[in-house]
Amino acid sequence: MTVVFEPKPSRPAPSTVVGPAAWLRQNLFKDIPNTLMTILGLYIAVTVVGWVLNWAVFNAVWEAENRRACLDAVGRSGACWPGVAEWLPNMIYGLYPKDQVWRINLGFLALIVWMVPLWLGGVKSKVAIGLSAVMLYPFLASYFFLGGDKGLVWSALIALGLSGLVWAWATALCERATGLSVGEWLGLKVAGATDDLKQKRVRQGAMAALFLAGLGLVSLWSLPEVRTQYWGGLFLTLVISGIGITFSLPAGILLALGRRSKMPVISMLSTLFIELFRSVPLITILFMFNTMLPLFLPEGSSVNQLVRAIVAVCLFAAAYMAEVIRGGLQAIPKGQYEAAASLGLGYWQTTTQVVMPQALKIMIPTIVGNFIGLFKDTTLVSIIGLFDLMNMARAVGEDSDWLGLFIEPFFVVSLIYFAFCFAMSSYSMGLERKLSAGRDR
Amino acid sequence: MALTDSRPRTKAAERSVLAKAFFDARVRSIVLQILTLAGVIGFFWWLVHNTITNLAARSMSAGFDFLDVSAGFGIGFTLIPYAEGDTYLRVFTVGILNTLLVAAVSIVFATILGLLVGLARLSTNWIIAGVARAYVELLRNTPLLLQIIAWYFGVFNLLPRPRDSLVLAEGFMLNNRGFYMLGPLPQDGFGMVVAAFALALVGAITLYKWEEARRDRTGKAFPAISSGIGIVILVPLIVFLAAGSPLDWEMPVLQGFNLVGGISVPPSFCALIVALSAYTSCFIAEIVRAGIQSVGKGQLEAAGALNLPANWTLRRVVLPQAMRVIIPPLISQYLNVTKNSSLAIAIGFPDLVSVWMNTSLNQSGRAIPIVAMTMAFYCIVSLSVSLVMNRYNRSVQLKER
Repeated sequence: MTVVFEPKPSRPAPSTVVGPAAWLRQNLFKDIPNTLMTILGLYIAVTVVGWVLNWAVFNAVWEAENRRACLDAVGRSGACWPGVAEWLPNMIYGLYPKDQVWRINLGFLALIVWMVPLWLGGVKSKVAIGLSAVMLYPFLASYFFLGGDKGLVWSALIALGLSGLVWAWATALCERATGLSVGEWLGLKVAGATDDLKQKRVRQGAMAALFLAGLGLVSLWSLPEVRTQYWGGLFLTLVISGIGITFSLPAGILLALGRRSKMPVISMLSTLFIELFRSVPLITILFMFNTMLPLFLPEGSSVNQLVRAIVAVCLFAAAYMAEVIRGGLQAIPKGQYEAAASLGLGYWQTTTQVVMPQALKIMIPTIVGNFIGLFKDTTLVSIIGLFDLMNMARAVGEDSDWLGLFIEPFFVVSLIYFAFCFAMSSYSMGLERKLSAGRDR
Repeated sequence: MALTDSRPRTKAAERSVLAKAFFDARVRSIVLQILTLAGVIGFFWWLVHNTITNLAARSMSAGFDFLDVSAGFGIGFTLIPYAEGDTYLRVFTVGILNTLLVAAVSIVFATILGLLVGLARLSTNWIIAGVARAYVELLRNTPLLLQIIAWYFGVFNLLPRPRDSLVLAEGFMLNNRGFYMLGPLPQDGFGMVVAAFALALVGAITLYKWEEARRDRTGKAFPAISSGIGIVILVPLIVFLAAGSPLDWEMPVLQGFNLVGGISVPPSFCALIVALSAYTSCFIAEIVRAGIQSVGKGQLEAAGALNLPANWTLRRVVLPQAMRVIIPPLISQYLNVTKNSSLAIAIGFPDLVSVWMNTSLNQSGRAIPIVAMTMAFYCIVSLSVSLVMNRYNRSVQLKER
C-alpha cells in the first residue's frame, strides 16, 4: 500500500495582512501617532475641499446683472460666476474680432489633427511626424492667426506647412495600411520602381507636386489681417509659449554643443550667453527688450511689442534649455564617444546618431519640466502690458460692472493653467516610464 | 626631362597643401572661430552704432552722471532712511536691500515649509502623503505671478481696516494696510547680550569640533549638539537677566486711521512672502524627498546591522549622503527665489526691478546704465553663489578612484 502525501489546502492569509481592513491598518492606523496624523490629514482635506465646494458651487451665484447683485445675494461667501461667464470669450480669444474667431479654432484644430498620428498604432515614423509638426506647423498657423497680405516667401512657407500636414497624414495612413512609407508605396505600387534611386525620384516628385498644389491653394486663399494688438487671452499665452518651446529646443541643443565644444572662442561665447541669461530674472530681460530694442535697431524701424516679448522669452528659454541638454550630454558615458570614433564616425555623425538621441531621451522629464516652466513664465508678459490669459483675468475686476471681481477669474485661470501643466507633466512621466521599461528591472 | 617632371609635382604639392588645410581639423576650427568672432563683433558693432545714432537723435545720454541727481519720488517701504529728495544711487541701494529682504525672509519660510511637506510626502500614512502631494501638485502647476496677484488682490487687500485689525497674537496684527508686530527697543547693556550670544556660538562650534576629533580618536561619544544648543540659549539668557532685561517692546497702537509704532510691512510684502514661500516650498519638498530616497536601502540595513541607534542612523548615515544630493538643487532654488522676487513689480512692492528698472528708468530715461546696473546686480549674486557652490560640490563629491 502506497501512501501518497496529500498536503492540506493552504489556509487563507490572515486578515491582518490582506484585505481592506489590513490596508487601513497598515496605512492609516498603525499606531497612535499614525492615527492622529490620519485624523489631522482628513481634517485638512475635508475642511479645504468643503470650503472650496461651498464657495464655488453651493453658495455661488449663477445669474446676475453685475457684481452688486452678487454681493447683495450672498456677500463674499459664494462665488459670482456671471462675471466670469461674460468675460470668458475674452479670456480665451482676447479682443480678436468675433467673426474671425473661427480662425483660431481652426488653427488649433489643425495642430491637433497633425498630432493625432502620434497616438495611432502601426505608425512607424512618429518622430518625423512630431518634428514636422513642431517645425512646419508654425508657418501654417501664422497665416491663420495673422492673415493679411502675404508675399512670395510667406506664401511658400504657408504652402510648406500645408503640404507638411498632408504628407504627415499620408505617411500615417500609408504605414498603417501597408507598412511602407509613402515614398516606398508610391514607388513600388504606383510607379513600379524597384531600385532606390527611382523610388527617391518618385518621392521627390510627389513632394514637389504636393508643394505646388499647396502653393496654388494658398494663392487663392485670403484672410483679412488681424493685428497683434487684438491678440490676447489663452490664445496669446499659447502662441508665446508655443513659439518659445519650438525655438528653445534647437537653440538649446546648439548652445549646449557650443558650450562643450573644444573650440575656445565658441565655447566661451556660448557660456557667456547661457550664464548671462540664466543669472538674471526673465522680467529684467523683458524690460530690456521692451525699452532697448528700439534703441538697438536702425533708426525708423519699429518692432511690435508682441515680437519684443517673444524674442525675450525665446532667448531666455534657450539658455535654460541649453543647460538641461548639457546635463544630458554629461551623463553619456565616454565609451559611447569612443565606440563612435572607433567606427569612424565624425563629429556630427557621432552627435546626431549616437550621443544626442541618448541625451535627449534621459532628459525628457527635465525638458518637459522646462516647457512647463516656460508656459508658466509667459504670464510675465502681462507686466509689460500684453493681455495674456492672466492679465485678461485681472481685467475682469476692473470692468465697471464687475468692479473688484478678482478671486473668481483667478480661480478659473488657475484651473486652466493647472490643467495644461498637469497634463504635460503626467504625459512626461508616462513617457519616462515607457522609455525606462527596458532599462530598470 | 627634369623640368617637365618637376612642374606637375609642384602643382600637386600646392594642391595638397590647400586640401590638407581644408581637411585639417585644427585649421578648420581656427577659421570657424575667427569667422564666429568676426560675426559677433560685427553684430555688436552694428548694435552700438545704431544705439549711438538713436541716442543722438533723441538727445539722450548713456552716462552714469545721473546717479547723484535727486530722484524726486517717494518709496513706500524702505529699510534704510530715504526721503523724496535723495539721489538715484540711494534709490538703487533701497531697491537692492528690499530685494534681499524679500529673498531672505522667503527662503527661511520656504525651507521650513518645504522640509515639512517633503517629509509628509514620504510618510507611510496614506492620507498625509496624499494631502502633501495635492499641495505640491496644485501650487507647482500654477504660475507664480498668478499666485502673487491672487494673494494680493484676493486676500491681503480684502482684510479689515486698521480699526478692526485681526489680532493674531498679542502684538501681532493684520489689516488692509499690512502686517504689524511689536518692535524691540534695545536699552543700554543690550550689546553685552549680543556679545555673549556671539561668544556662546563660537564656544558651541569649538565644542562640536573637539567632540568630532575625540570621537575619531577614541570612539567615545559626547552629546555635543544638545549641550551646544544649551550653551547658545542659556549663556545669553543669563547675561540678559543679570543685566536687568535691557530690552523693551514697542506695541503698534491705533492713531487716527492707522496703526503706529512697532515693525510694519505693507500688504504687498505679505502677499509676496506668502506666495514665494508657498511656491518655492513645493520645489524644496520634492528636492528633500528625492534626496532622502536617494540613500540606498542597504545603507539603512548596514546601519541596523551595526546596531546604530535611530538618531545616529539619521544623523551619521542618511543625512550626510542625502545632503550631497539635496544641497546643489536647494541652492539653485534659493537663487530662483531671489530672481522671482522681481515679480514684486506686479503688486507694487518697491524691489530693485520696480523702483530702479521701472520708476527710475521712466523718470530719468537712462535706459542703458539702469538696465546694465540691474543685470549686474543679479549676475553678481548668481555668479558668487555658484562659485561657492562649485567649491562645496568639489568638497563633498564621492572620492572615487
